[in-house]
Amino acid sequence: MDLVMYKNDVWGREVILGVSWELLWVVVVAAFVVIAAHAIIVGNRKQAPRPSSEGKHIERHDGKDRIFHWVMAASVMVLLVTGIFPIIGIEFSWLTLHWVAGLVLTASVVFHIVRSLFWQDLASMNIRPSDLKETFSTAKKPGKYSIEQKGMHAAVTVLVLLVIGSGLVMFAMIDTPWWERTNSLSEATLGWVFLIHGLSTLALIAAISLHIYFSLRPEKLFYTRSMIKGWISEEELKAHHDPDKWPKDSA
Amino acid sequence: MPSYDVMPDVQLFQPAEVDDALNLVDQYGKDGWILGGGQDTYGWLKDRAKHPTALIDLNGIEALHGIRETVDGIEIGATTTLREIIASPLINRDFELLVRAASRVASPQIRNVGTLGGNVSQDARCWYYRRGLACYRAGGNICYADSPQGMNREHALFDASRCVAISPSDTATALVALEATMIARSVNGSRNIAAEDFFVGPATHITNMTSLESDEILTAVQIPSRWAGSRFYFEKVADRDVWDFALVSIAVVMKMDGDTIAKSRFVCGGVACTPYRLLDVEKAARGKTLSDESGDAIAALASQGAKPLNYNHFKIPLMENLVRRAMRG
Repeated sequence: MDLVMYKNDVWGREVILGVSWELLWVVVVAAFVVIAAHAIIVGNRKQAPRPSSEGKHIERHDGKDRIFHWVMAASVMVLLVTGIFPIIGIEFSWLTLHWVAGLVLTASVVFHIVRSLFWQDLASMNIRPSDLKETFSTAKKPGKYSIEQKGMHAAVTVLVLLVIGSGLVMFAMIDTPWWERTNSLSEATLGWVFLIHGLSTLALIAAISLHIYFSLRPEKLFYTRSMIKGWISEEELKAHHDPDKWPKDSA
Repeated sequence: MPSYDVMPDVQLFQPAEVDDALNLVDQYGKDGWILGGGQDTYGWLKDRAKHPTALIDLNGIEALHGIRETVDGIEIGATTTLREIIASPLINRDFELLVRAASRVASPQIRNVGTLGGNVSQDARCWYYRRGLACYRAGGNICYADSPQGMNREHALFDASRCVAISPSDTATALVALEATMIARSVNGSRNIAAEDFFVGPATHITNMTSLESDEILTAVQIPSRWAGSRFYFEKVADRDVWDFALVSIAVVMKMDGDTIAKSRFVCGGVACTPYRLLDVEKAARGKTLSDESGDAIAALASQGAKPLNYNHFKIPLMENLVRRAMRG
């Protein structure tokens, strides 16, 4: 199985065409295996009692951030469906939907970057060496975000920026209401752009599969609720986070 | 890219029954190649630009051949040759439009062997694509025709999406105008596809010209009687009178109510990746009489929304003039 597809350009030179979409099935199977293995291992463990959601509400996500999250989620889903379905043989007129969703994603990410730089505590997402201790000790609790959440955020940040960057270059290569395409990139450069877009898409599929799985696990459902309603309970805070670190890390 | 005078090493199947052909198509999938008259096939294979492992020759299947009158019109088997269509008294009587279109396909020799199924299923004739370059239509990531240096005189004015190739079929425009139905069969059953939906553009399926799946065979074309005996007009403009593809063509059917047009369908070839319906022209033609004045009044509607490329602006007045000529008394 190839990782990269090649083609001959108009001069007969071998250049990159893009990612080999056979990798899609590898990613899907690998994500399924990881999820299944995790579900089996955790299912065989004795479950700790779940903290009550009653009582005082502690704000975890501001309304603006929740809107951003769900707009981003919706646009990514539309992008994946419109990008991947035609590749697996489900044909429809996908291109306009794809770039419109791409622009929505780009706008929402720009909004989030500006907001996180000037109105939020960006440092709360930094991964520090001390965070690693959380992994090995149940006594050591995180601040607002666990190391797993910070890791997922970092991975998604890199992948989304790569997919947006490469997507914008590809966007310039098609006709839109604002410009006519130029076809100005060399075939070799275009191949690299397609490769980056394809690889980051595949990695995003894996990351999003894990994200959705964890967001639906019973012991993590309170995080999902907080992304809908904005709050967690005081008991949930004490059970999963270090209240002393919370205000410091909180936006 | 090398070009050869000989066929590549490919397995040839000559089934005698439709079911056998369907099983072969199902077995080989995208590695199988359905052979009708071969006029699209042999170029691809000799140029080594397509690499099927099996050729499935439909010409020995009696059930796919011939012209039959049905309860509501006619049915033409997919391997019926264009010459047989031109010579058919039945088609000449009711659907002369198809005869006129088939008469303008390529050359007499090609019409003798070329089939209706092959003519409507033929692949794009964009020379960059036919050359074997990895363009969008070949699964690549670029269109060579729509680039600053691209030669796109023959390419699309409408509905291009990355690929700017056009539908090369002359009979396709006539069949869309006549509201034909294409019968596609696979081992899983049969599908009736309106001719208008049979041809697909690059926005939907950039590597296919038709909605046929890789396990399907186009077995027949049915033409309903609703346009039988109507007023027909077909004209094809090409660089040569024979053995050339249309720069622009037009197929028109009209139901007349006395001197006025009650209902019509105008379909252009050579301007989009599919036969292109002139819906605004059809609306505007309703209630008009056939005259130069009527033609002048509605001709400009034909090219509305056209997005010409570097070298094909000339197709815009060509389209408009074909509408004018179709509207002459």
